[in-house]
Amino acid sequence: MADSTHPNPGPPALLCDNVVKLFRRGRGLKKKVVRALDGASLTIPQGELFGLLGPNGAGKTTLVRCIATLLIPDSGTIRLFGHDVFTDSLFCRQRIGLLTSGERTLYWKLSARDNLRFFAALYGLHGRDRDRRIDYLLELLGLREVANERLERYSSGMKQKVSLARALLHDPDILLLDEPTLGLDPQFGRFIRQFIKEELNRKQGKTILLTTHYMDEADELCDRIAFINRGKIVATRTPAEFKREIPHKEILEVRCLGQPDTTGLKHLDGIEQVQADFRDGITTLRLVMPKAEKVLSEVIELLRPQVRLLGIDVKEPTLEDVFIYMTGTSLGADTKEEIQ
Amino acid sequence: MPDRGIKTELRAIGAEFVKTMRIWFSYPIMLVFWAVFPLLWVLPYIFQGRALVGSGTSEAFRQLTGSGNYLAFVLIGAMISTFVFSALWGVGNSLREETYWGTMEYIIASPTHPLVILIGKTLAEWTWSTVMVLFQALIIALFFGVQFTLAKILPVLLLVILLMIGFYGFAIAFAGFTLLIKEVHGWVHTLEWIFFLFSPIRYPVQVNPITAAVSTLIPLTWALIAIRGIILLNRTEVNLYQTVLVLTLMDIVLLTAGYFLFIYLERKTRRDGTVGMH
Repeated sequence: MADSTHPNPGPPALLCDNVVKLFRRGRGLKKKVVRALDGASLTIPQGELFGLLGPNGAGKTTLVRCIATLLIPDSGTIRLFGHDVFTDSLFCRQRIGLLTSGERTLYWKLSARDNLRFFAALYGLHGRDRDRRIDYLLELLGLREVANERLERYSSGMKQKVSLARALLHDPDILLLDEPTLGLDPQFGRFIRQFIKEELNRKQGKTILLTTHYMDEADELCDRIAFINRGKIVATRTPAEFKREIPHKEILEVRCLGQPDTTGLKHLDGIEQVQADFRDGITTLRLVMPKAEKVLSEVIELLRPQVRLLGIDVKEPTLEDVFIYMTGTSLGADTKEEIQ
Repeated sequence: MPDRGIKTELRAIGAEFVKTMRIWFSYPIMLVFWAVFPLLWVLPYIFQGRALVGSGTSEAFRQLTGSGNYLAFVLIGAMISTFVFSALWGVGNSLREETYWGTMEYIIASPTHPLVILIGKTLAEWTWSTVMVLFQALIIALFFGVQFTLAKILPVLLLVILLMIGFYGFAIAFAGFTLLIKEVHGWVHTLEWIFFLFSPIRYPVQVNPITAAVSTLIPLTWALIAIRGIILLNRTEVNLYQTVLVLTLMDIVLLTAGYFLFIYLERKTRRDGTVGMH
């Protein structure tokens, strides 16, 4: 069943109840069924900035595409302001603003203005109202100066701004933002994050469903967050509530050159969880325990003969630690599940 | 939220038309191609005709078709088929382009029905085809002595419109397959060659009893026979009513079948989760 948080009166902006989506891939004996969504349920009240946090392949994009009517689920219900997205898709499509990651979602041979004019027509905008809306959005996103230049001359960040303008053209009630800052440089990423929080959510009061695998982004922006893993919503809380999920715990972060054997660490007294992330020749170990200093010397003793230690730090739990604690999976993992 | 009525859909068709044209015009080489193509296209037919029969006319050909003007016969077939195939290319290829550009999902997720977008794309494709066909008609009139009077043009126009409506039904079904199978060139070329074989575009299908029989199922056959009758043999009334009736019936069948097939295939694509895939 969907969770039952309804702080605002009226129907929730979005209700997903037990949504299942299977992908059938291959043919004959090689046929596989991938369970992309496995009974995903969530409720987003109107005006909330809601984050969907999970690793690659967890089902975030699949759920967004189901809500945006791009995918038809195998079972389950999705309602937008009380309307079923599949039986009343016209109503829902008029109220959804969609933004996906990746810069290849626009016509590069057209200018920003011409792109927006085309999509405005699809949403029934025309004449002066359309031009005023486009001018307003171009101004708001700082694109007015370059509005008549072809998109092929734009940077990735500028293209993402045009995509955001497109999502806002018809003044939608709910925004589906799928990894909106993926691949952007820090400056544009910061701008987009601030714009989402301050302008769209706080000022304009829009309901926003934001998917991300950047924990900082979810922590910074979202009123509430749902952890999604292997197609299931694992838990839904505020960021602060999530961090309280692992109280009286500390995280010992160890960075070392090479890949150590972590079997010994798991058997050390007091260590509850060991997570290893190996990138560019460096392993980052995150060990969850009640008191780090008690096992510090033993950890060093175990690792020193195997690898060169680069740094050791004791940290407060982050959202990622909570995610790992609850799911046993890192946000950097790829978790596509095959059931057959 | 703006109400959606017929005006909204017409504006969406217009927006798609303008967008397609702007993208075409952003490639200057396209303009050069279209400027010289009508002339380059006609020359091989002239040389082929001269090589085969020594001139543009043939007695054997007259016995089969009623007209000895082989070149005019072929050029009319080519003109009309240009229109027909533009419908296939217009909807099939341009949908593929939308998936390459990454814009397909945004079109599908919008309140505008994808069929509206297809109409806009086809109109753009037909505009190009019309310009080209007008060039071709000019060449036929100037160099092959074929006269285009208003009495000939109006019934031909009626037949072409009826033909195009039916082919649009065929094309939207084809667009559905394009969404599903993510391939267009092989399909369009296969269909083109089927039409070349089983309809009298380049030769009179009566030369072979099988092609003659199969060709009656293709609206292009009916249209071409009537159009050639009007242009080359001055038979405006003969068979016109019968052809109009047959084409109208075929239009109803093809449009209905095309619409429902497209709806089914578009839903299947959304069920399979392959809308945005290449």
